[in-house]
Amino acid sequence: MERFDVAVIGAGLLGCFAARELSRRKLDIVLLEAREDVCTGISRANTAVIYPGCDHKPGTLKAEMTVRANAGFDRLCEELNVPLSRCGSLMLSFGPRADAVLREKLRQGQENGVPGLRLLSANEAYRMEPALAPGLSSALFSPTAGTVNPWQLGIAACENAVRNGAQLRRNTRVLAMRTEDGSYRIETDRGVLTARAVVNCAGLAADRVQELLFPPSVRIVPTAGDYVVLDQNCAGRPAHILEYEPEKRGKGLTAVPTVKGNLLLGTTERENTLAYAAAECGLDRVKALAVRILPGLDFSEVIRSFAAVRPNPRSPDGSSIQSFCIEHPAERFWSLIGIKTPGLTCARELGSYISDRLATELDAEQNPLFTPERRGIPKPHSLPYEERKALVGRDPDYGEIVCFCEDVTRAEVLEAIRRGAVTVDGVKRRVGTGMGCCQGARCEQKITAMLAEALGVPESAVCKDGPGSEIVRAEHERL
Amino acid sequence: MRGCKLLIVGAGAAGISAAAAAWDAGCRDILLVDRGIRPGGILPQCLHEGFGMADFGRELTGPEYTALLLTRLGRTGAALQPETELLSVSKDRIAVLSRRGSLEQLHFEHMILATGCREKSIGALCIAGTRPAGIFTAGQAQERINLRNQDLGDEIVILGSGDLGLIMARRFTLEGKHVIAVLEQEAQAGGMARNVRRCIKAYSIPLRCRTTVREIHGEGRVCGVTVEHLDSGARETISCDTLVTALGLIPDREAARGLEGSEWLSLAGNCSRVHDIVDSAAAEATRIGTLIGRQLSV
Ligand SMILES: Cc1cc2nc3c(=O)[nH]c(=O)nc-3n(C[C@H](O)[C@H](O)[C@H](O)COP(=O)(O)OP(=O)(O)OC[C@H]3O[C@@H](n4cnc5c(N)ncnc54)[C@H](O)[C@@H]3O)c2cc1C
Ligand SMILES: Cc1cc2nc3c(=O)[nH]c(=O)nc-3n(C[C@H](O)[C@H](O)[C@H](O)COP(=O)(O)OP(=O)(O)OC[C@H]3O[C@@H](n4cnc5c(N)ncnc54)[C@H](O)[C@@H]3O)c2cc1C
Repeated sequence: MERFDVAVIGAGLLGCFAARELSRRKLDIVLLEAREDVCTGISRANTAVIYPGCDHKPGTLKAEMTVRANAGFDRLCEELNVPLSRCGSLMLSFGPRADAVLREKLRQGQENGVPGLRLLSANEAYRMEPALAPGLSSALFSPTAGTVNPWQLGIAACENAVRNGAQLRRNTRVLAMRTEDGSYRIETDRGVLTARAVVNCAGLAADRVQELLFPPSVRIVPTAGDYVVLDQNCAGRPAHILEYEPEKRGKGLTAVPTVKGNLLLGTTERENTLAYAAAECGLDRVKALAVRILPGLDFSEVIRSFAAVRPNPRSPDGSSIQSFCIEHPAERFWSLIGIKTPGLTCARELGSYISDRLATELDAEQNPLFTPERRGIPKPHSLPYEERKALVGRDPDYGEIVCFCEDVTRAEVLEAIRRGAVTVDGVKRRVGTGMGCCQGARCEQKITAMLAEALGVPESAVCKDGPGSEIVRAEHERL
Repeated sequence: MRGCKLLIVGAGAAGISAAAAAWDAGCRDILLVDRGIRPGGILPQCLHEGFGMADFGRELTGPEYTALLLTRLGRTGAALQPETELLSVSKDRIAVLSRRGSLEQLHFEHMILATGCREKSIGALCIAGTRPAGIFTAGQAQERINLRNQDLGDEIVILGSGDLGLIMARRFTLEGKHVIAVLEQEAQAGGMARNVRRCIKAYSIPLRCRTTVREIHGEGRVCGVTVEHLDSGARETISCDTLVTALGLIPDREAARGLEGSEWLSLAGNCSRVHDIVDSAAAEATRIGTLIGRQLSV
């Protein structure tokens, strides 16, 4: 039987960062993921904001971690070679009630140590965002708010963990666990292994994974939210993240000018009937709220809509829990249960929190070979002409464009596959193919063919996303 | 830096016609580039008949029409360079062209953009439900079936009754597939009467006007759609394993965004406006080619 020091369950943002932070220590780490790829769960459908830290009560771990995480985000993104946009955010108020909310957020943020916060008059806010709807009464400006591509960050953390010695096992679902000679015996659908410690980051299933061994403590009650994405450089796109009625259920509306130049609008909160299925009422509500703050938006520029699922943590008595649920039900067993916003912002902090404590429990030394840096996939689109030309000179595949909307080359797609993409969406998450206005209509076929060739399977076996999402039924012999 | 007098981007019906006309009008330095492997643009994947009635007086298939265009082009000295993407153009008339193994800047005097259309994607509709596999645009389905001989599914719903939707309804039927219905939100089909007759009526494919898709079902692969009858508001769920969208064409001028209106730039064919028939796209391009060719001949 295989033995590891630590088994991390679930390769979403939290599991990937837990593995990466643990790999700073001399530990044998295995990262177990049920799906065919990393970051296919909550981590791929969220608001993508790096929060400054105004939303949490002073003195709480959430407040402290968010402020620290935000301050360290430039460095983190540099290490992992992931683009970060520090666009800043404006929390908007259209009347006395919300003015009071903003004053409270300002006070809270200042007490939490958020730098640069300023309460703006309506005029000042209109100068920063001329397209805002009339009737604004004040705005809270947070210059340190930003946005990243969440799944790219998670994938980067995973690659870095692997580079530092962690092993990634995909298509490996944890089915059962028990303790055995002071270790954890973990049964998966791909065999059994043991680990001295377990870090449970199973996202929406984290409560159930913990309950494989321990009595219920935190229960996840899922709710859904809907998002609408507008084309790059769409009319009325703001320069800052805009937050409207963030004190309301589901954080009201957030408008995010993404790192790639799209506009992401979300989200609502509604009961969850089916995972990751958008609802008409939610999409309509997002649009209705969005035009209330940005009347110049043109919804004919929408290119996509989707749903997200929130893992709301509840106590066994049903009451909701506000703090991060970092569970430690037994020695060397840690769980992150129901981590929603600001879980993306704090992913590294949460990972390092657990890593530090496990290092003590396992008496682990520093890993002298640890490197925090990860090299991203070169992106010709963002290079100046001469550098791009040199890249094409080194590898001819950088000259062949596969995704026309997003200007993604064959070399990038091949590198995405080399780094582990096994589905069309896996390629998309790594290099952004199919994210533009044609939504993959012109590149899906080419990418399917490249995947088929690289994986040595027929095109009819290539999936769009998870299992069962084959794209073509069969390929007859070519005419 | 390489240069040319006339750079034509897109070797579909419009680009080829413009190139041939410009040559005939006296321009002797023409480069015609296309991102595809084979010239013809949308035509090579249109195996049906229906091209060239106005120009040639008989109905040709897409490949036949392309062959005639290429014969015409072959009589000129315009250079055709396939598998080359126009990445960007700048105000000082420098195009950046990319192809396997080469990235180059090219200076031109005039550019004719003949880059055709792209299809509106279902993503634009904000439809509720899941985002499974098995959803294709009509053009994508046409390419996969006609050029790659792929089997996409058995039970087909087609959303949108433009010419492309109608032609694909017939295509799937000829492939032995069951086209459950063609759905159209307007009161009548969007495509030409001739296509309604030949592609839908002739095969008894149900055309359901004043209906649209409100929700998509299916986890891995699409398994059904909820359809709303727009007049009554009634809804029903139809089982299917493939959804084909024909939501309309959008002129594709992305490469020259912000430069429209420059005097050194002309738009021809579907990239200038959507042409229902190829003859009209080709005629417009021929006119523009002749005009520009004359200007550049001196
Ligand atoms: C709607 C929404 C908006 C948000 N917006 C923001 C934001 O703007 N800013 C911010 O900071 N945070 C935000 N968050 C929070 C952030 O997205 C999450 O905290 C984070 O993505 C959680 O990641 P995760 O790793 O826990 O979950 P996931 O990404 O879901 O990963 C869990 C993984 O565990 C795997 N798994 C499950 N069961 C098993 C098993 N038995 N065996 C093996 N593997 C298993 C799953 O397949 C999955 O891959 C948002 C969250 C939501 C829901
Ligand atoms: C499915 C379908 C069926 C049709 N059926 C009929 C019919 O029966 N009868 C009829 O008369 N008409 C029909 N038409 C209409 C007619 O075919 C079109 O109007 C005409 O072919 C358009 O020609 P085009 O050259 O403007 O565009 P396209 O044929 O689309 O050519 C554009 C070319 O530009 C290239 N390109 C685009 N961007 C770039 C770039 N950045 N760099 C390099 N190259 C680029 C593309 O690869 C493409 O080859 C049909 C059209 C379709 C789509």
